[in-house]
Amino acid sequence: MNTEELYQQRLRRYLTALRNERPDKIPIRPFVAEFTAKYAGFTCQQVAHDFNLAFEAAVRCARDFDWDAVVPNMVYVWTGLTQAAGLRYYGIPGIHVPHTTGFNYIEPPEEEAFMREDEYDALIADPTAFLYEVWLPRVSTEIVKPGQPATYRSHLALVKSAMAMMVYFNAFGPQIQRLRTECGTVSAIAGIFKAPFDILADKLRGYVGLTLDMARQPDTVLRACEALMPHLAHVGLTTADPAKQVPIGLWMHRGCVPFVNPAQFRSHYWPTLKPCIEEFWRHGHQTMFYAEGKWDAHLDDFATLPERSIIFHVDQGDIFLAHRKLHHKFALSGGIPNVLLSYGQPEEVRAYCKKVIDEVAREGGYILDAGAIMQDDTSIENLRALTDFAREYGVYSGAPTDGPLLRPCDGADVSELVGLSDRPAPRVRPGVCLPWEAKLKELPPLSGDVDLLRRVWENVDALGNTYIWQLLLSF
Amino acid sequence: MSTPDLQPLYDAVLSGDAKTARAVTEQALSAGVEPLKLVQEYMVPAMGEVGRRFECNEYFVPELLLSARAMKAALELIRPLLAASGAQPAGRVVIGTVKGDLHDIGKNLVAAMLEGGGYEVIDLGVNVPPEKFVEVAQEKNANLVAMSALLTTTMPSMRTTIEAFKAAGVRNRVKIMIGGAPITQRYADEIGADGYAETAAGAVPLARKLAA
Ligand code: B1M
Repeated sequence: MNTEELYQQRLRRYLTALRNERPDKIPIRPFVAEFTAKYAGFTCQQVAHDFNLAFEAAVRCARDFDWDAVVPNMVYVWTGLTQAAGLRYYGIPGIHVPHTTGFNYIEPPEEEAFMREDEYDALIADPTAFLYEVWLPRVSTEIVKPGQPATYRSHLALVKSAMAMMVYFNAFGPQIQRLRTECGTVSAIAGIFKAPFDILADKLRGYVGLTLDMARQPDTVLRACEALMPHLAHVGLTTADPAKQVPIGLWMHRGCVPFVNPAQFRSHYWPTLKPCIEEFWRHGHQTMFYAEGKWDAHLDDFATLPERSIIFHVDQGDIFLAHRKLHHKFALSGGIPNVLLSYGQPEEVRAYCKKVIDEVAREGGYILDAGAIMQDDTSIENLRALTDFAREYGVYSGAPTDGPLLRPCDGADVSELVGLSDRPAPRVRPGVCLPWEAKLKELPPLSGDVDLLRRVWENVDALGNTYIWQLLLSF
Repeated sequence: MSTPDLQPLYDAVLSGDAKTARAVTEQALSAGVEPLKLVQEYMVPAMGEVGRRFECNEYFVPELLLSARAMKAALELIRPLLAASGAQPAGRVVIGTVKGDLHDIGKNLVAAMLEGGGYEVIDLGVNVPPEKFVEVAQEKNANLVAMSALLTTTMPSMRTTIEAFKAAGVRNRVKIMIGGAPITQRYADEIGADGYAETAAGAVPLARKLAA
């Protein structure tokens, strides 16, 4: 079989499982992060700081292991970019953290949170402007606050980090192509999204700050989540797979019990997340719920989403429970404990995979993966044992290997879905920094192709929007 | 002077109301109530109840955090008086998140629960090297060491720390307890820790058992 045939076979296998159906074999889709460095003979520092080496490491793994899909670079944060922007919240291997580790996100202490408790109204009024004016100067060692004297280094930091982002993002196309042509491996996800509540905790108020706000000003927090929704959903939609094959990645951090109590989940986390997921599905995009930690308390809520609109990934939760509660609607992935993959014996890995396959994968709709991303502690031998075992044992009989290639959204009826469509439009449209209407007021009377002038202004303005929201969500 | 009603202190810790906890404590102290009585008869039982509620899913991390803050607000006033009176804590714990690991939400909850259990807690923060655990445990004459790890990559730091206690010849002077999401009883046994607790609330009975 040539590489393209292999790719097509794996793509069909992966999409069939995403559709919660039975493929020919259980797809294997390990989220390998610093593991790739260990396997490919690079250091963690190398893959964090030089994304070309990270790409190469991912390719070497994809070439050598019989995996159906991988992430083009799960050591996602390129520290060359974070350094250019002067981001305080990343430890760079060899500078702030030991060179033997990958990039490290570092949460600021409570009193140095990047957004203060009395700044909600400014965030709500215009989230994009708030990010540029208040958040960015605070998270950066280089970029100065509006109103402060401009500096050479501040300008440099903006230009360098923005161009670095462009270079980095543009490198993904060729990397995805390499995975396809050199390894026959599918790029597992496309696009990024986080729940409004999580973003407030992760990058703005911090977890402790947000917890206190939930006690003191819960309504304001809710308004902030609502104000973030259209902007975050815009990022999800504009970064999603245009072919609508692979899901948008939703990284779920701290919206679950016990981080929040059940009432907070019901009042804040879920009502501001669910409409976004439905909005994606309305547009034909499936979302991968990468449920970090334990989300067992919320499975009944997730079950209210439209059939096939998500795949549910299990980290430390109970995958058997998730299967009982969700399998009738969604595919599942993950559930193999990282501790086992790092410190267990190959026969224990095989035994655990067998148990999961027997109980969860019988009717298809299961994608094999560890619970959490795999760092350099994951044993190569164990990951090989997982792969070999799944290929031997995870075979279904009677699955069609030809016929039309169906995507997760094919055949779904979304006509009744509301998503975000019934919500009032925000003052500044998502994806926009400086609206054309505002710019127009500064310009002399226009002539010629006015539509061209508007379109190009808006397309370039959107780049400014991409920069700041990507910093917030991806870096 | 009549003895003030101290039930509101218990209630304030339980409901996470730091302002009231502090105010009631202030009143009680100025009315001459024994600081130790405040701790032992009101705060420790309140935090015990917080732990119980956490264990049976009536309380969650937000409630734990708020109760811990209320307790701390009161303790700030009480602690100097306790020290001056020479009252002995239930035990002395050195706690920290192990080397290489920066996760501290769980560790802070454990520290608060132990404090609420009447222990003196010396919190070394995150990314604590083995030598530091050993040094401070000796210096402060601690009888318990508590380590937290959240990453599978940093679990081995627990083993290294236990080895550092052995190498310094002081392993038998302390009981060592460990916890954190990826940790199991099996791992604790494997590396020669004295105990493992799955939750922050579970850390208090474990400490009592180990130091008994
Ligand atoms: C002594 O006796 C005891 C007894 C009981 C003890 C005990 C000690 N210690 C704890 N307990 C017990 O008491 C508590 C209450 O009952 C419990 O404590 P826990 O600490 O288990 O529980 C807390 C109450 C809540 N749990 C947590 O706070 C952890 C939550 C998650 C979301 C998490 C967080 C918050 C963070 N993170 Co991190 N993070 C994840 C976590 C995923 C998840 N949702 O679980 C996890 C742990 N992180 C992970 C990773 C990979 C990372 N993180 C990193 C960074 C961070 C933040 C800074 C963003 C933040 C930490 C902020 C902070 N101040 O702590 C990085 C590492 C930084 C470092 N060197 O430590 C980074 C490497 C990511 C990166 N590349 O930057 C994953 C680990 C994967 C693995 N293979 O182990 C992870 C599981 C997420 C995932 N699914 O991928 C019990 O375990």
